[in-house]
Amino acid sequence: MKIAFLMRQPAPGGQSVTTEVLRLLRDWGTTVDVLHPENQATNLAEMTPSHDLYVLRSVSDASIAHAGILDSLGARIINPYPVSRDCRDKVLVTALLLRAGIPVPGTWVVERPTQLAPLLDGGPIVVKPTRGSQGRGVHVVWDVDELLELGAGDGPMLAQRFHPRQGRDRKLYCIGGQLFGVKRVWPARTYEEKTGEPFTVTAELRDIALQVGAVIGTDLFGLDIVISDDRPYVVDVNPFPGFKGVPEAALRLADYVYAAAALAVIEAGQAVPRPVGLTA
Amino acid sequence: MKAVVIGPGRVGLGFAGHLLHRSGYQICFVGRRRAVAPLMAAGEYVVRLTDGHRLHEDRVSGVSAIDISCSSEVEQAIADADVVCTAVGPRALDSVAPLLARGLSAAKQQVNVIAFENAEDAGRRLRRLVAEQVGFEHAGRHGFSGAVVSRVVAHRLPPERPGDPLVLIGEPHTEFAVDAAALNHPLPRIEGLVAVDDFTAFYRRKLYRYSAGHAATAYLGQLKGYRYLHAAIRDPEIAQLVRAAVREGQAGLRAAYGPHVAGDDAEVEAIIDRFGNAELGDTVARVGRDVPRKLGPSDRLLGAARLAEHAGVAPVRLAQAAAAALCFKDGGDPPVVAPREGTASGRSRVARLLSGIGHLPPTSPLARLIQNEWQGLMDGWEDGNLMLSLEDRLWAWSSNSHAPAGRLAS
Repeated sequence: MKIAFLMRQPAPGGQSVTTEVLRLLRDWGTTVDVLHPENQATNLAEMTPSHDLYVLRSVSDASIAHAGILDSLGARIINPYPVSRDCRDKVLVTALLLRAGIPVPGTWVVERPTQLAPLLDGGPIVVKPTRGSQGRGVHVVWDVDELLELGAGDGPMLAQRFHPRQGRDRKLYCIGGQLFGVKRVWPARTYEEKTGEPFTVTAELRDIALQVGAVIGTDLFGLDIVISDDRPYVVDVNPFPGFKGVPEAALRLADYVYAAAALAVIEAGQAVPRPVGLTA
Repeated sequence: MKAVVIGPGRVGLGFAGHLLHRSGYQICFVGRRRAVAPLMAAGEYVVRLTDGHRLHEDRVSGVSAIDISCSSEVEQAIADADVVCTAVGPRALDSVAPLLARGLSAAKQQVNVIAFENAEDAGRRLRRLVAEQVGFEHAGRHGFSGAVVSRVVAHRLPPERPGDPLVLIGEPHTEFAVDAAALNHPLPRIEGLVAVDDFTAFYRRKLYRYSAGHAATAYLGQLKGYRYLHAAIRDPEIAQLVRAAVREGQAGLRAAYGPHVAGDDAEVEAIIDRFGNAELGDTVARVGRDVPRKLGPSDRLLGAARLAEHAGVAPVRLAQAAAAALCFKDGGDPPVVAPREGTASGRSRVARLLSGIGHLPPTSPLARLIQNEWQGLMDGWEDGNLMLSLEDRLWAWSSNSHAPAGRLAS
């Protein structure tokens, strides 16, 4: 089986979950290629799907563009291209979650920070870029002075009502329909803080996560939930998180990717072992 | 030399047929029309063997096949054979015995019948079933032995196009132990055949080491949400527990049959290593299926646990694997004990179940051990969840209705 990962160049010596997934898949006899669309000149006329399965690990503009072409050529991508593309737009995702009745803090979109001033009468707000990840550019704003300090951004901004955290954030990770929970402080600074602590996902959080998966249309994602006044609020959705803190995350992810690749091969009409008990 | 193989499935084709071919036999396969049709069309099949590092392919050519409903042709093939092998599954022996009996009674020469059924008494049972048809005098002319199959044949792939050969995927192991005293001599010359005096010991050696570990990996693997066996055994918790379970079985074997049967630590590691062979593409769903049979009184888990108990070793890990087996979901079927049954009623159901299929008295130490392990799993187990950590008893959820066509995916 041939699998390609579209991803950024990992940091030298980095020990990410993805690096471990690549190692496991290779150990299991799979041919794994790593593509860095950012670092290469891609001849569009020559692009053709040459792998049984693609994993869209990066949501950089170059990776998304690359994945879009592969998608249009019929390539099998484990995390659907439209999901990865559109999940970068926090406005769209938040609107979809709200429409589906998923608990999300009150949310506004503005062009300039000063437009948010009236909202501060109702309490602090969280301002974040409409396209961002890993907490970059996220600020809690308590008064107009802080708002002015933000300055004008590159584009529209998303503001959400700030809900004081009750304990640590709940990170929920979905790998092929399996849901894992990790408690983590925000913002996490040390390695231990980033790893967090696994916990048994409650039925309430499970239902929220499954609903989110259904709304955006993927079974490979992560979401951040803040608990405030005993109520959960979804504050972020990530189409391919790092799965930090999930016990044996790399093994579980590799198992899922391997199964998806086997199914892709079968559906392409090649005779390979059919994974008994696995469904498409 | 002529051989008939009844049952052209994974073991019949991928092990018995393969070794007979390599030993120079002219082989005729007998099976249901649908099973033999690809053999009739192609006249050959392919055996792909892999240990996870190297791949070897053999083409088993020049084979013939007969639809089992063509009785007279089958009887004639058996009557002309030097060796007859069965690989139909222990439950189907009754149904093939009359045909086998008629063929053997017409044979002028003595025939050795080898049952590749992974059942301790398959040879004896087949002899009795044949004798019931044609009398003990006729049956007594022929040899009947079971076979301890060492090779896992994980897949029987259908032809890609009509006329293409079937493809079998399995491990490269070739040995199979037969009961030396139960076969006619000279013994058939078949690659891998090892004639042993204590067949039961060698049968149990495989069952209580390899098969116990294999099943434990599958049951714990599904409990923890893994799809493939090679992934499950990479989980450090599972690997540790499976290793300990195999060692419990090994301790029982050592006390009962001696160190030459039990083997050493290196053999345990070799067994664990085999479970990591990803090239087989073996899933926990395939390896774990048929829980009631695998929880039988002498089968891989309870049989090994009983033998360990006799050796004075508490079979804690085998009991844990048996408790996980009770949670196992076989395809679309629910687990043998429903998770939402209250713990008290569930516990008594487990006791009844172990008594019924495992012949374990409810108050026996082993039954209590399994009940306790099962009860430990009950704290948090619900239909559709999976265990995140055996040690910390953390749970995660598993949704079967995943990959929905959501708004963004369309």
